[in-house]
Amino acid sequence: MLVRKLLSIRFAPVVRRWASTDPLSLQNTKMQAYLESLRQEYYVLRVNAAGNSKLYERLAQLEGVVTALEQRRVLERNITSAKDLELEKDEEMRELMQEENKVYADLLAKQEHTLLRELLTLADDEAYPALIFGLNAGAGGQEAMLFAQELYEMYTGYFDHMGWEYEEFARETTDIGGLRHASLMVSGDDVFSWLRYEAGVHRVQRVPATEKNGRMHTSTASITVIPRPADVQVHIAEKDLKIETKRASGAGGQHVNTTDSAVRIVHLPSGLAVEAQSERSQLKNRELAMKRLRARLVQQQLESVEASKLATKKAQQGSLNRNEKIRTFNFVQDRITDHRIQGGTLHNLEGFLKGGEQLSGLIEKLQLEHRKDRLKDLLEAWQPPQEASNQS
Amino acid sequence: MLRNLSLRSLRITRALTHCNYATNVPVTTALEGWPAKLKAAGIEDTEFNIKCIVSHVLNRKFNTVPDSLAQLNFNPTQLADFERFLEARCARMPLQHIIGEWDFMDITLKTAPTVFIPRPETEEFVRLVIENYKDAKHVNMLEVGCGSGAMSLSMLHTLPQVVSTAIERSKAATVLAAENAKLLGLEGRFSVHNHTMEEDKYMPEELKDQKYDLIISNPPYVKTDEFQYLHPEVVVYENLNALDGGSDGLRVARLVFELACCHLHPGGQLWLELGNEHPPLVKTIMNLKYEGRLKFLSSYYDQYKRERFVQIERV
Repeated sequence: MLVRKLLSIRFAPVVRRWASTDPLSLQNTKMQAYLESLRQEYYVLRVNAAGNSKLYERLAQLEGVVTALEQRRVLERNITSAKDLELEKDEEMRELMQEENKVYADLLAKQEHTLLRELLTLADDEAYPALIFGLNAGAGGQEAMLFAQELYEMYTGYFDHMGWEYEEFARETTDIGGLRHASLMVSGDDVFSWLRYEAGVHRVQRVPATEKNGRMHTSTASITVIPRPADVQVHIAEKDLKIETKRASGAGGQHVNTTDSAVRIVHLPSGLAVEAQSERSQLKNRELAMKRLRARLVQQQLESVEASKLATKKAQQGSLNRNEKIRTFNFVQDRITDHRIQGGTLHNLEGFLKGGEQLSGLIEKLQLEHRKDRLKDLLEAWQPPQEASNQS
Repeated sequence: MLRNLSLRSLRITRALTHCNYATNVPVTTALEGWPAKLKAAGIEDTEFNIKCIVSHVLNRKFNTVPDSLAQLNFNPTQLADFERFLEARCARMPLQHIIGEWDFMDITLKTAPTVFIPRPETEEFVRLVIENYKDAKHVNMLEVGCGSGAMSLSMLHTLPQVVSTAIERSKAATVLAAENAKLLGLEGRFSVHNHTMEEDKYMPEELKDQKYDLIISNPPYVKTDEFQYLHPEVVVYENLNALDGGSDGLRVARLVFELACCHLHPGGQLWLELGNEHPPLVKTIMNLKYEGRLKFLSSYYDQYKRERFVQIERV
């Protein structure tokens, strides 16, 4: 009895290892099988990938996980098993072994962390080369528009910080410096995996500059993020366009000297109308208007594709975070709270609104959370290859 | 009107004396009354005119000034300039002369009194020429009558493989074009010669043996009897030499045809911006007079759907 009790204490870590209920634990049997299948996939690909860019892409994705996994196995092998420890008669030797094991255990823990990180990155879903970032002032009138403008500055600052390119194709401002609406096309390697978590309703609580009686207001602004697949193309035929300028009919050319630079383009099939008048050159305004039209058409197309995708997703998953409030900016307490994660509260609003490291840090937390969920789903749905073949 | 004016100046003086430490006047206050005055003087598109002058007075880039002009202020000097410029505009001085510069495609050009100001249609013309030559390896180009240099310089700016020589009859324009080239850093690929085209002396002495791949020109094409209908900005402030195309509007164009026969490589092209009725006429002239020398290739429409540009090839 005593021996058994002693044994169970000694073997407790080992037992816990194999019986872990956390699906993301590396000790989980299914996880182990999954890792092994990834390793095998990697070596099969190494032989067969030649010349196939899609396979190469997958190979590159797998490399991090497989390397980490193999390093972990080497470490595991270096650990002297409890059985060997017991068999060792030399007391001094045993102490040495135990000491060594402690060092390896530390290394192993670090390695497991790396492996998990690699695995989580692998779990991230589709990548898109660009996205359409929309910002709309919500409830709260002028104050909501001022807040939208602050968010606009924060995000454009963040795009610069991340080295992404962006192009604005719609922006409506108010006289007192607020923003009604803005749409930007943001492009860069990993834009979607960072910005997707920003979609939703952002809330601000403060005493607005427009408030005369010192009352605190709550206002909102909403953000939409629509990924743009690489293959989206819109074709605009010259004959479908009606280009309007202010010049009245007449001889034109050298006969008159009117400075008509504003341009309005109507796309007849879609009925979309765009205007540009921010440049003195008419041709520049026309180019600008065409750019806006193209972007609007892309957006329209994406929104219809996205809408159908969303409808199915919604049916499957229920809530979608679209209209839920995801983050609160509380100026009185100098605090930002993200409502989707544990420990999502930060301080230093001013620094946060600069759109630099602080925003990055918060998004990283959201990324991790999202990737964990993805990995869990992935593991749940995953079936060991041989079982799958037995079933079929 | 007079009462209106004195009332405004009274208000401004009061604003000035009222607070000595802050003599700035909001732009929105300063422009009260002016839109109506501009309209009365026959100027359309008053908002755009005002915005151009405001951005010039404030020394800000046009596209950074908000359309509403909200939250902008003039100091007393700027206010005085602003009113002076608007008076000039009411007297129909061209906006481009008042602010001393104008944008043409991607470049900003200095303007000068008496030098012809390029029109928005000419941007479309240059866009077409660029479209046709963007893939050419090297283009040795001649421009006849370059004015401020707008066409040549915007082409050089867009296409690095183009080298341009220009001739221009006005001394003021010759100087201005050279200055604009320098301001844009394009002087290495641009030279301009002061020369007036005449029969049998189409080119200046130093260029008389030169041949080119491409000739472009926006020659004067206004018919003499159309002068009575022109806007005051054009008749009073622009050099009529840059506009007067004789009785049928093609007097200068005919000289350019002759010049093209002597100075284009075989296969080289001549592109012209002309008036409304000219392209069919030019086609007839080519067929009747220049068979075996020049060939009419095509005509194009400007952005207002007027057939105005022609493309001709040296046979």
